[in-house]
Amino acid sequence: MNWDWQFTFEVVVPRLLAVVPVTIQATVLSFLLALVLGLALMLLRISPLRVISIPAGEIIEFIRGTPLLVQLFFLFFLLPEIGIVLPPLTTGIVGLGIYNAALCAEVYRAGILNVPAGQWEAAKALNLSACRTYRDIIIPQSLPPIVPALGNYFIGIFKETPLLSFLAVAELMHASKLIGSEYYRFTEAVTVAGVFFLVMSLAAAALVRFAEGRIRGRILH
Amino acid sequence: MTQPKIKFDRVTKRYGPLTVLNQICLDIDPGELVTIIGPSGSGKTTVLRVLMTLESIDDGVIYIDGEPFNKMRAGGALAPASNAHIRRLRARIGMVFQNFNLFPHMSALDNCIEAPIHSLGLARGEAVNRADELLDMVGLAGLRSRYPSQLSGGQQQRVAIARALAMQPEILLFDEPTSALDPEMVGEVLQVIRDLASAHSYTMLLVTHQMGFAREVSDRVCFFDAGQFVEQGPPQELLGSPKNERARQFLSKVLEAR
Amino acid sequence: MTGRLMAIAALIAFLLGIVVATFSETRIFMPALLRGAAVTLQVAGLSFLLMVAAALTAGAAKTSPFPPVRWMAGAYIEIFRGTSLLVQLFWFYFVMPEFGVTLPAMAAGVLGIGLNFGAYGAEIVRGAIQSVPKGQREAATALNIKPLHRLVRIVMPQAMIIMVPPMGNLTIEMVKATSVVSAVTLVDITYASVQQNQIHYRTVEIFMVTLVLYYCLSQLIRFSMGVLEARATRHLCTGH
Ligand SMILES: Nc1ncnc2c1ncn2[C@@H]1O[C@H](COP(=O)(O)OP(=O)(O)OP(=O)(O)O)[C@@H](O)[C@H]1O
Ligand SMILES: [Mg+2]
Repeated sequence: MNWDWQFTFEVVVPRLLAVVPVTIQATVLSFLLALVLGLALMLLRISPLRVISIPAGEIIEFIRGTPLLVQLFFLFFLLPEIGIVLPPLTTGIVGLGIYNAALCAEVYRAGILNVPAGQWEAAKALNLSACRTYRDIIIPQSLPPIVPALGNYFIGIFKETPLLSFLAVAELMHASKLIGSEYYRFTEAVTVAGVFFLVMSLAAAALVRFAEGRIRGRILH
Repeated sequence: MTQPKIKFDRVTKRYGPLTVLNQICLDIDPGELVTIIGPSGSGKTTVLRVLMTLESIDDGVIYIDGEPFNKMRAGGALAPASNAHIRRLRARIGMVFQNFNLFPHMSALDNCIEAPIHSLGLARGEAVNRADELLDMVGLAGLRSRYPSQLSGGQQQRVAIARALAMQPEILLFDEPTSALDPEMVGEVLQVIRDLASAHSYTMLLVTHQMGFAREVSDRVCFFDAGQFVEQGPPQELLGSPKNERARQFLSKVLEAR
Repeated sequence: MTGRLMAIAALIAFLLGIVVATFSETRIFMPALLRGAAVTLQVAGLSFLLMVAAALTAGAAKTSPFPPVRWMAGAYIEIFRGTSLLVQLFWFYFVMPEFGVTLPAMAAGVLGIGLNFGAYGAEIVRGAIQSVPKGQREAATALNIKPLHRLVRIVMPQAMIIMVPPMGNLTIEMVKATSVVSAVTLVDITYASVQQNQIHYRTVEIFMVTLVLYYCLSQLIRFSMGVLEARATRHLCTGH
């Protein structure tokens, strides 16, 4: 093996560092989109109308049962055909957001089902409105299992961002591939990208733990 | 004087700061049935577990038939025992657990032939024949192909006894064999142990809270408390008029409770 | 059993899809997609074998009484879970040759996916082994059963029941993850769809067929795991 430190520090590291913000941006925006879209999907899923809840369940199941990459390609080719022209990064964020929304919807639902039936009955006995019941009784109690699961999805999204390189989004993996094929040297580019991922996923895990601690302190007691 | 079958020589066992066995000494003769009684949490189970090598000991030596068990003779001194040495002596001991510990994925028969085939090296046919005899002896001849989940607690414990006997041990350890059973099943298990004690030459060590049974079957009863054997003697004597103050208190509490 | 219903519904949908594709002009892309599907199945099948082998080995090693064995298993698990799958695939295909080991694309793909998911599976196996009650191991020791035999005959069969459902979910994730193997130049069904789409511009038909095929595969795995679980627990549900 011939590891070239000079090449590593003069070419690989600066060029990979330059695209780190793209990876972070993609992760954060997709996560926010997944949180919001997931809520909407979950509300459809728990609708008392079966004509709404059953198809919603099937759609969630379908999104979860098929590869994210195929969904990304589908969006990437489909959107321009129906007249929506977006930059690849935006398409990628939408794709990641939809896929993870299906996962989040199930997490929300599990959290709400986790609240004992007696709580609903107590709320009814107190004559609370549906809105108040959710806001004051159900949601606060359903948060403990939801928050850590969402944290894991945040880290999951981060680990999924390399897939955007298939759409030619200039993120870490794409940059490392480019360096590899420009210089015919893959060792440094791929290995440094791996180290970046390792370091960043450790950082993301630490961030998630910190956020969880804060949230726990604020609302979970 | 005959050589003791089992000898505890100043055996000490600690869990962190807690000394559960404090330099205990006990000799058990071949064919003797010794019952250990004592308050909950005093360390009775631990006595059996260190003998079965389920727990390591911190100090002291256990002898089986005069041979050191947790140690082995090397030159003049005692060295830590090798696995082969432990396996060889451990083959003489069988144990029956409080909560049976049958293998749930095997039928009653398979429970009784697994170890004889793979540890003793018996041929399958021979192992099956012997297991059938033993299952018959504990009164379960018709239930050999049942799985543990399809048996009552009393039946499971009798399978567990047959499983231990299938290894042809010379020493049998029983750790509260009836305390996980519903009251109506206690009798059937005690009857099996009674038969073993009267018709066979096993050396037995029994931990129990059934004072009546202890009085009936034991050759000797030992009262264990605070990490030591505090008092021992013939059952009538120890259970009837204990000399030790703590033994007296313990027995009066136990007898009051019934 | 909803799993079975879903598998059947998905199968019918897929067959309908094939019929539509075959008897309309869209049949032009079907052969290429099916060739890709064969590659996907091959990668998935081989990766599954490697995943299970790696998971069982590393999971059991993680419970070993010998610290060095535990450390080695731990290092494998942390490295393969921490860096991303794509990085590992690139490593096996583009970097290994620089160490003098040139792997065919298929081998690189299977190694990358099998070892990556094996690392996740190892944690499942470890958890399952540790959740077998302590008394089971003690009973085996009291019967003088040797440690390896105890692991294989007493502990593993009981751990199996606990690990089948999460392993099934992991297998579904693994099959979905095979969609990235075009990174090592394999033409699987995902990449075949991209190619066919660039030739024929039938985005909806091509990708719906591909998505439905993946969906069928996931449902099939879910269904098989249900059957396997029922078989494994058949003695344990009665009584008590
Ligand atoms: N693995 C362990 N780690 C730490 N402490 C332990 C462990 N096993 C047992 N102990 C402690 O050792 C003491 C003796 O336990 P042991 O099970 O031998 O008591 P026992 O006399 O059999 O009680 P019982 O009549 O309730 O069965 C107890 O105080 C118990 O808490
Ligand atoms: Mg006990």
